[in-house]
Amino acid sequence: MKKLKEAARSSGLLFLFVFLAWPALVTAMDNGECFDCHSDETLTRENNEHGHINNLLFVDEGRFNRSVHHISGLFCVDCHTDIEALDYDNEVPHARQLAPVQCGNCHSESEAAFAESAHMQIRSKGISMTCYACHDYHYVSYLAGASVAEREDNFCAKCHNPHRSHDWLPKKEEHFAFVECTVCHAPEVPRHIHLKFFDLMTNKYYQGDEILEILGISYEQFMPLLDTDKNGILSRQEFEALELMLRQKNVHAIFHVELVAEMDPAAHQVTAEGAERNCEKCHTPESPYFNAVTIALPNKDGSVDHHRVERAVLESYSLRHFYIYAGTRVKLLDLIGIVLLGGAACGVLGHLTIRVLTIRLRRNKDK
Amino acid sequence: MSEKMIYIHPAPVRVWHWIHAAGIVALVITGFQIRYAEMLGIMPLRDAITLHNYVGFMVIIDYFIWLGYYLGTGKIKIYFPDLRTFVPNAIRQAKYYGFGIFKGDPNPHVMTPDNKFNALQQKAYVGLMFMLLPAQMISGVFLWRVKGYADYVHLLGGIKIIDTIHVILFFFFASFLIAHCYLATLGHTPLAHFKAMFTGYEEHH
Ligand code: HEC
Ligand code: HEC
Ligand code: HEC
Ligand code: HEC
Ligand code: HEC
Ligand code: HEC
Ligand code: HEC
Ligand code: HEM
Repeated sequence: MKKLKEAARSSGLLFLFVFLAWPALVTAMDNGECFDCHSDETLTRENNEHGHINNLLFVDEGRFNRSVHHISGLFCVDCHTDIEALDYDNEVPHARQLAPVQCGNCHSESEAAFAESAHMQIRSKGISMTCYACHDYHYVSYLAGASVAEREDNFCAKCHNPHRSHDWLPKKEEHFAFVECTVCHAPEVPRHIHLKFFDLMTNKYYQGDEILEILGISYEQFMPLLDTDKNGILSRQEFEALELMLRQKNVHAIFHVELVAEMDPAAHQVTAEGAERNCEKCHTPESPYFNAVTIALPNKDGSVDHHRVERAVLESYSLRHFYIYAGTRVKLLDLIGIVLLGGAACGVLGHLTIRVLTIRLRRNKDK
Repeated sequence: MSEKMIYIHPAPVRVWHWIHAAGIVALVITGFQIRYAEMLGIMPLRDAITLHNYVGFMVIIDYFIWLGYYLGTGKIKIYFPDLRTFVPNAIRQAKYYGFGIFKGDPNPHVMTPDNKFNALQQKAYVGLMFMLLPAQMISGVFLWRVKGYADYVHLLGGIKIIDTIHVILFFFFASFLIAHCYLATLGHTPLAHFKAMFTGYEEHH
């Protein structure tokens, strides 16, 4: 279902992209031409009266080629749309002053959501924030695979120190480590629980291909191998089988569990007033935030394969390093509790009853 | 029947005991609220957690008062059974609670300041004060700073393992509380032991 939604969105983007890119393809202005000059690390602007963020005109080809936009087949001119042709008769083969790039041409939903965020309201104070204040522009990477820490370091923590506020929230450190900022701050964004393979010894996440190599399978074989009842969701048993397989290969990976926002334009609707501050929203077994639990297998290029896992896995000891009070409690312990408390209560009541019934016996004896 | 009062609970012990008792009751109540946040509405989760943490530390400090007093005065030995007589004494005591008490037999154990606890109490309290309560305090402190003690938490197998220990002990303490309060009514009058823990004096017959 979610895969479908994602696919629909990217094919929409792809359509848009083909549409926009068409003229560029016709004039065959490939990136190589631009790099002829812009791979020169010393190339700088002659003047910067327009207040660009930097004077350097160097674009790192290697990094650009790893970016999501290059992977998705974008050319320089798909963003720098006002370069229609290069005229080598001039010293600079295109206009010295190019129009600002409109990310919203392709990401209109994100732009619309962003327009409603607290970060747009600061315009009234004369601060305007661009998309690339968070995302960068030439080197945008896939986001879905990033951990909470990476998401925070790359985005919000560049400008905010959340430890200075949030005094109403106990255990700030734990919350910021396990809950992405936007989970609370973007009320409309869908959330899900991410499970990633983590090696405690080296303090590193396993890449998807490392795990698959260990299991000796390819990306396509992951679910068919594990999902033995073929319902598309890994059950508790199937999940435990995966754990066992890894252990048999001598891999002692733990599952790192995090509460993250899904890749959705609504992540941009950041607000302070509407932010989640109700503890019981997460600290309850019925929390809507854990409806979707997925194993995230990061691909080499940074994109991520998500595989659904049954929610009950959260209450199992397979996820020993994650526990939300009241939210993911182990049901077996409740049973032990009932037995202990019930045992004590029955013992006391039984003893008391006999004591009352035998009062006469003791009175007679006293006489 | 001659009645005489013996001084059985010195002041520091009485102070410790009531702080401890109030603390455990508060910990049990807030503990229930934390674990069953969605079912109980005694107080908001946030307050339950705050209170639980403060009271937890109060109980820890109180524990060291207890330990200091008993070690300092050397009275700690009343907690440790005499191994030669322990088994027969324990059997005798169990028989009394399960049988003799109903017939009005006298308690086989006679309380004195140097020999305050019967064999069953000794066994229970040694386990409680030297194993279960410390385990509860340590697991509680780890839960209090999961990130700060991350290394230890990982070493012990993760937060859920620590929490499991804490929760099982919690149920144990809650059950113990029920039994403890009931057993306290088994003095020569139902309130005798309670009074003694306030005044320090137990009536002797
Ligand atoms: C012959 C060398 C050359 C080629 C080829 C070239 N550029 Fe440039 N480009 C320059 C120079 C020089 C400047 C600096 C202009 C100035 O002085 O501000 C520049 C500036 C720019 C700027 C900054 C404009 C601004 O508003 O400040 C962008 C964006 C740009 N180039 C993109 C491209 C793209 C995209 C291509 C390929 C389609 C390309 N360039 C090809 C030489 C080149
Ligand atoms: C995803 C859209 C996008 C793509 C694709 C893209 N750019 Fe840019 N580029 C931008 C944005 C946004 C800026 C920042 C404009 C500003 O400074 O206000 C920029 C700025 C530049 C600059 C000015 C220097 C700088 O780093 O700020 C140069 C030169 C440039 N781009 C060249 C290129 C070249 C060459 C390519 C292809 C290899 C390319 N761009 C591809 C969005 C893009
Ligand atoms: C305040 C930081 C910030 C700004 C500014 C920002 N974004 Fe984002 N963007 C995010 C975050 C956070 C995510 C979601 C990823 C996550 O939750 O970790 C995201 C996700 C995205 C995605 C992927 C989600 C999807 O719908 O597929 C796109 C595309 C995107 N942003 C485009 C933009 C555009 C376009 C702008 C400018 C209008 C912009 N962003 C401005 C923080 C920002
Ligand atoms: C010409 C169209 C186009 C423009 C302009 C454009 N993008 Fe994209 N962007 C794409 C495509 C295509 C994808 C890949 C979508 C996918 O794979 O789902 C993408 C993906 C993204 C992602 C999502 C990465 C992820 O994890 O899914 C972000 C973030 C993003 N772009 C940011 C920006 C920013 C910031 C700008 C402006 C500097 C920008 N884009 C301009 C076409 C564009
Ligand atoms: C480029 C810097 C920058 C980044 C990155 C950034 N912010 Fe902000 N943010 C600001 C500024 C500036 C303000 C306005 C501060 C003010 O009004 O005092 C603001 C305001 C806010 C507010 C509203 C505060 C209020 O008092 O109303 C919230 C909430 C917020 N940001 C959350 C986030 C989150 C969550 C992220 C990460 C997704 C993020 N910010 C990323 C700069 C940034
Ligand atoms: C558990 C939910 C939650 C998480 C996680 C969270 N926040 Fe908040 N945050 C809130 C709430 C609720 C407020 C509003 C507090 C208020 O009104 O006083 C807030 C307020 C803020 C503000 C405004 C502070 C001010 O001075 O008024 C900023 C900025 C902010 N958060 C940034 C972040 C960043 C960055 C992160 C991630 C590291 C983050 N928050 C994580 C719930 C959360
Ligand atoms: C957005 C969901 C969310 C909200 C809202 C939230 N929490 Fe949490 N809380 C978590 C997660 C996730 C963890 C980390 C679990 C872990 O450490 O394994 C956590 C951890 C904790 C911990 C630390 C113990 C632990 O498990 O590490 C305490 C205490 C706590 N929360 C209390 C609260 C209180 C009190 C509130 C309300 C003021 C609150 N939380 C609001 C999700 C939330
Ligand atoms: C003796 C010192 C104790 C300390 C320091 C302590 C500390 C803690 C802490 C810190 C938590 C986690 C809540 C949080 O992070 O704020 C917790 C949870 C809990 N504690 Fe304690 N505690 C102690 C004793 C007790 C006792 C005696 C009981 C019960 C008799 C108890 C029952 C609980 C319960 C039920 C939870 C919730 C765990 C869950 O939901 O799974 N604690 N305790």
